[in-house]
Amino acid sequence: MRTAATMLAGAVAVTGIAACSPEEGASTSGEPVEVEFWGWVPGLEELVAEWNGDNPDIQVTFHRMTGDDGQKVEAAVDAGAGPDLVQLSTHNLPDYVIAERVQDITDYVAEDESNYTPASWASVSFDGRVFGVPQGIGPAATMYRHDIFAEHGIEFPGTWEEYLDAARALREADDDLYLANLSPSEMGQWVQEIQQAESSWYGITDDAWTVGVDDEGSRLVAERWQTLIDEDLVTTEPMWTPEYWSLVNDGTIASITYAAWFPSILAENASGLAGQWSVAPMPTNTGSNNGGDSGGAAVVVLANAEAPEAAAEFASWLNGSDDTQEALITEGGLFPSTENGLSSPALLQENEFYDDQVINEVFIEAAENTPATWVEGPNFGFIQTTILDEFAEVVNGEQTFIEALEITQEAAVADLENRGLEVTSP
Amino acid sequence: MSTATVGGSRRRRHGAVSPWAPYLFVAPFVLLFVLFLVAPIAVAVVNSLFSRQSSGLGFSGSSIEFVGLTNFARAFADRDFIEGFPRVLLYGAVQVPVMMAVAATIALLFDTALVKARRFFQFAVFLPYAVPSVIAALLWGFLYQPSVSPILQFFESIGITLSPLASTVVLWSIANVALWSLIGINMIILFSALQSVPREMYEAARIDGAGEVRTALQIKLPMIAPALLLTTLSSIIGTLQLFNEPQVLQTITSNIPSDYTPNMAIYATSTLGKDPHLASAMAVILGLATLVVSLLVLAANKRTTNRANHGL
Repeated sequence: MRTAATMLAGAVAVTGIAACSPEEGASTSGEPVEVEFWGWVPGLEELVAEWNGDNPDIQVTFHRMTGDDGQKVEAAVDAGAGPDLVQLSTHNLPDYVIAERVQDITDYVAEDESNYTPASWASVSFDGRVFGVPQGIGPAATMYRHDIFAEHGIEFPGTWEEYLDAARALREADDDLYLANLSPSEMGQWVQEIQQAESSWYGITDDAWTVGVDDEGSRLVAERWQTLIDEDLVTTEPMWTPEYWSLVNDGTIASITYAAWFPSILAENASGLAGQWSVAPMPTNTGSNNGGDSGGAAVVVLANAEAPEAAAEFASWLNGSDDTQEALITEGGLFPSTENGLSSPALLQENEFYDDQVINEVFIEAAENTPATWVEGPNFGFIQTTILDEFAEVVNGEQTFIEALEITQEAAVADLENRGLEVTSP
Repeated sequence: MSTATVGGSRRRRHGAVSPWAPYLFVAPFVLLFVLFLVAPIAVAVVNSLFSRQSSGLGFSGSSIEFVGLTNFARAFADRDFIEGFPRVLLYGAVQVPVMMAVAATIALLFDTALVKARRFFQFAVFLPYAVPSVIAALLWGFLYQPSVSPILQFFESIGITLSPLASTVVLWSIANVALWSLIGINMIILFSALQSVPREMYEAARIDGAGEVRTALQIKLPMIAPALLLTTLSSIIGTLQLFNEPQVLQTITSNIPSDYTPNMAIYATSTLGKDPHLASAMAVILGLATLVVSLLVLAANKRTTNRANHGL
């Protein structure tokens, strides 16, 4: 049934291109409006099919994004093509806005604002205009092997200072054991601690950007991980590799601190370790209760979409309506950015893999405690590429984290200036 | 009526041939050449002279502006991009001779007819070439990771710890993947060239008392010099364009940064760094560098050929 619908929709799309002029004649001529949507959240196929069944006048075709699909989108939009709707990390949204790859959808979605958390709504709004519909946020917590901690009689640490002690204690107890892995290739784990420290890569002062890659909070985080690396207390394997999952599965890595979407991925890749994991709040900086967030996603209407209103209507339904919240939480593993999602009973299910813990209680607390200091900015992709290259040299022992931050800071400012943007020192 | 037409056309064939005919025959080539070779180069060159400029916070739109050679200056000032060149040249200086030596040796062995089940072995050597280089890199990537690699685990069990992804050796681990993939095709080209050498040459050599090794070095290799040059040249160009293998291996090790080779730097700049104009300038520089190296190799080859001819 779903396949038939998709095929039909595809056929309509082809004839639509051949027959229609760019002006919006689709709905008046009785043919449905076509919306092409690219996304990666698990279970979107079913939701799209549900929408198509209920909305004969707006038919959505879905493409599951994998690999470097996200990078294809940019090239396609710049070339005047590409899908109508795409799922996007909110970190990249300012760059999309500046490069004019997304459409202003304020008029179509403004009335939904009250249903979204203020932080997630802020992440899609620039200059008082709205450029997307929030789709989940990434509050962070720590997944840890409670059996390993129990075996060595170590309490899971509450602060980063205790974290350091726990790392030393585990290492001492067992030579093959590490408290955590520092992935030199994964930005989100860095960003969540930067947010926790109330820092931000970007800021806006009057009409100019400020860049804070090596600000005070970042240096605090840098020094913490420098100690952990210098004392050989963490592994430094790139995340997501077979080697990494092998270290997780054989119990070399005792804890992983990451966003609310990570627990389902961990359960998938370490299914043999069911019942041995727990979720605890991410360790805090002394004297602060702050949580962290690695960044959320949004569904945006791309520049070449011919029916932005229809696309925005679908995006609002997908991410905000009561019908979709449960599926997004249970199937999609999303942590909702909506009020109806946050109050959905689906969020508070016991999780078998985590020893029947209601793990989202921890993530809800983290979301409530995340400071709203992070500002998204225009060259996140550039900073990410640069900083990860520098981090690789840090884990090789060729330089320190502080040096990596200083190099990236300088490069980031130069890059913004090369784009003609206004940059001031904070 | 019809005979008259035929007669007429026959007469015309003897007389004035349409002056457009040659152009017509060349047209398909020229069209494809312009479309797929000249046009992209022209686009890259034009792109490299422009830059997308915003103002203030950037939310009020942007424009494409002519910036002259600024992008080239930026590319040359980008230390990481420039450092990629000596890296791939070092890689090429080792990888190309090794590859040519191995490919030529295998081709010569097949040609001596000493190898049994030749077809099977030819196929076996050629097969890796049929594996896309991205897949080859993924495959070797598994073999390079200590916890999942049976090879590394075997060596570990006999007391030898190998880490092919360590920063000092990762370049040669990449070379190994390329070698594995490309020996087959080079071998086939050299082998076909050997097959076209007249057999009497070998007979003459044998009568003159030359052994197999001497025949190979002094008769066979010089006879297939054009094929050797072709394969060497394409290997050198491939070296400068090195991309797939390091790009794939980058996902499993932190020892390959995003700008490890010039081609990777271009990709990172255009796609991850989102500056297609700067990337175009880099691409033009890489293209010119490849051209220069190719011309140097051709010139060197011409000189040795001339010298050899004079020597004879």
